[in-house]
Amino acid sequence: MRRILLTTLISACAAAQLPAQLLQLRITGLDGLALKAEKSVNITLDSSLLQMAGGFLAGAGKDGKDGNDVKGLLAGLKAITVRSYQFKETGQYRMEDLEPIRAQLRTPGWNRIISSQSKDESSEIYTRTEQGKVVGFAIIAAEPKELTVVAIEGTIDLNDLSKLKALGVPSIPVPDKKGKQQ
Amino acid sequence: MNLEDELRSALRRENPSPGFAERVVARAHSSAKPTRAIPRMIWAMAVAAMLAIGFTSTYEYRQMKAERASHDAVIALRIASEKLNLARERIVRREN
Repeated sequence: MRRILLTTLISACAAAQLPAQLLQLRITGLDGLALKAEKSVNITLDSSLLQMAGGFLAGAGKDGKDGNDVKGLLAGLKAITVRSYQFKETGQYRMEDLEPIRAQLRTPGWNRIISSQSKDESSEIYTRTEQGKVVGFAIIAAEPKELTVVAIEGTIDLNDLSKLKALGVPSIPVPDKKGKQQ
Repeated sequence: MNLEDELRSALRRENPSPGFAERVVARAHSSAKPTRAIPRMIWAMAVAAMLAIGFTSTYEYRQMKAERASHDAVIALRIASEKLNLARERIVRREN
């Protein structure tokens, strides 16, 4: 009897975890590219770090509004993961490297909303919606000398995101591998 | 008197005066409690200073972490925005 109860409890816990696991897009299989890349960006922010960042930006906002706008954008987010690699030469990565990520994006719940494919570059944008709200968002941008994958978990308005520069987000220099600001 | 006699005289055994042992015991019992090597005030100040240093360090660490996180968040959102707009532009270009 105890075993049955325990098994039921474990199954229930596993079932409860499943939607969250499906939602979390794991960017895997790209770590080796950092060694080949001239510049790379590797950012992983969870909800607690995003909260801290939102608070800091709101507090540090020079004119108040911009800080609050960015804070508002961050408020609905649970996680951000960015992997971006810029190479000196072409052919430093293979499309197969993206397959583990694409496989996750083929699971139910994810929808490809934009796909632009050409001979040597492609852009794909995926969203995951729940009750009409975007709760997950992913970008795969593959160019001959650049590969970027972005995964955002949480509610986000894509129009707000696309207007980000207009919101006054400062152009922050992106450090390269050697720590030099670009 | 030579030196040897002087030393012998100085170091000769002498019995204590009567009641010596009792006086020593009485003094030992009546003496005040030993004073603390470090007064309580200094202890309190040291603890307060340590707490202040601890709180300041924690605050500074959290501030640094928040600053770093906000820097990363802005970069991440900027990259996401750029790539989103790039994809949209490509679609528009293709349609035109």
